[in-house]
Amino acid sequence: MSLHWESFVFTLIAFLILYILLNKYAFGPLFSVMEKRRELVQQQLSEAANTREQATVYVEEQKQALQEARQQAYEIIEQSKQTSGKQAAQIVELARSEAARLKDEAVRDIQNEKNKAVEQLRGEVGVASVKIASKLIGKEVKEDSVQGELVDQYLKEVGGRS
Amino acid sequence: MHEAPIIKLGGLNIDLSIVFMLIVSCVIVFIIARLATRNLSVENPGKMQNFLEWLVEFVRGLSNSTMDWKKGKPFISLAMTLIMFIFVSNMLGLPFGVVTDVHDAEKAQIFGQPLVSVTEKMEAIHKQHPNEEPEVEVAWWKSPTADASASMALAIMVFLLSHGLGMFKNTRAYFKHYVHPYPYFLPINLIETFSKPLTHGMRLFGNIFAGEVLITVILRLTSLGPVGGVFSVIGLIVWQAFSIFIGTIQAFVFTMLTLLYISQTYAAEDDH
Repeated sequence: MSLHWESFVFTLIAFLILYILLNKYAFGPLFSVMEKRRELVQQQLSEAANTREQATVYVEEQKQALQEARQQAYEIIEQSKQTSGKQAAQIVELARSEAARLKDEAVRDIQNEKNKAVEQLRGEVGVASVKIASKLIGKEVKEDSVQGELVDQYLKEVGGRS
Repeated sequence: MHEAPIIKLGGLNIDLSIVFMLIVSCVIVFIIARLATRNLSVENPGKMQNFLEWLVEFVRGLSNSTMDWKKGKPFISLAMTLIMFIFVSNMLGLPFGVVTDVHDAEKAQIFGQPLVSVTEKMEAIHKQHPNEEPEVEVAWWKSPTADASASMALAIMVFLLSHGLGMFKNTRAYFKHYVHPYPYFLPINLIETFSKPLTHGMRLFGNIFAGEVLITVILRLTSLGPVGGVFSVIGLIVWQAFSIFIGTIQAFVFTMLTLLYISQTYAAEDDH
């Protein structure tokens, strides 16, 4: 073992030159690349986090929209059920009133017809009974008013008996 | 033992093997780093880039275990250079060595310069055993960290850096540390402070140097004939594997301690 200060100095010089060269041509670029990668990873991580957050928000929105749609569909069905029920009731009501009206009309018509027929029959019976009576009593009742009175009187008697 | 090839140049004792091995280590480390960062990609890193990034993460973990990330960040490059340089240096001495035998002091020269260490050694041997032919082995290829000067240079660099940072950037806490917990602890704290770079550098040097010495010793076993050869091969396999482990651990420990020392001076809290 021997110590020489010259070797000492040479070692220092060699090491310093190596350090400067490595720093400039190898480590500097390497460190910057590593730093870039670190930034890249950081950026991608934050991007991923953002995307995830957005996705969560989006899913939440979708869920809400779905819920709303479901609610609306339910309301629509409910509404239509109600309206259809009302309509049916209306139709039934309408039909009922129509039927009642038709019945009333028919009853009135029948009454009218009956009255007419009674009126007509009364006239005819009057004429026929006058003829019969004139044949029977042999004289003609000339005056119409007297004739009418007679007929009515008889008819009342007939009607009263019957 | 192996001698270092030292030449005198303008009054400087220049250890050629250290200079050469330092250059080799630096070139290898730089090539590895450049290969790894050749096609840098943010999204699709290659194998080499992944490896270097793993190393950066590892060093960052070491830094985070000793100090705040904000304070430790500027030293990541330093720690990366240290761990790569020391690891490569430690590994260099393992696969092979280049040793030349010198028998003649006249021939012990390179580029026209005499190898001072070799000639001195030869003279010393000649004085002790005047009748024998002197033989000196010169190691050209070895781990630079197996040289005390190189290891201590790194350790003292860390020492100066950490204490400089402590003095100028963290003055109050730094000086308070010397009289902690009581003023009469000052001598103990001083001893602790100055023993740190010594153990820091010597630990690295000792481990690697011992590894290479043992490799040399195991290789010498071959001179004992076939049995020695077999033991030599087995021993080499085991010891090489262990040396790889040691080299890795020492690179890790040196880097770890570097960050720790920096944190103790630079990042020490006031109320510590």
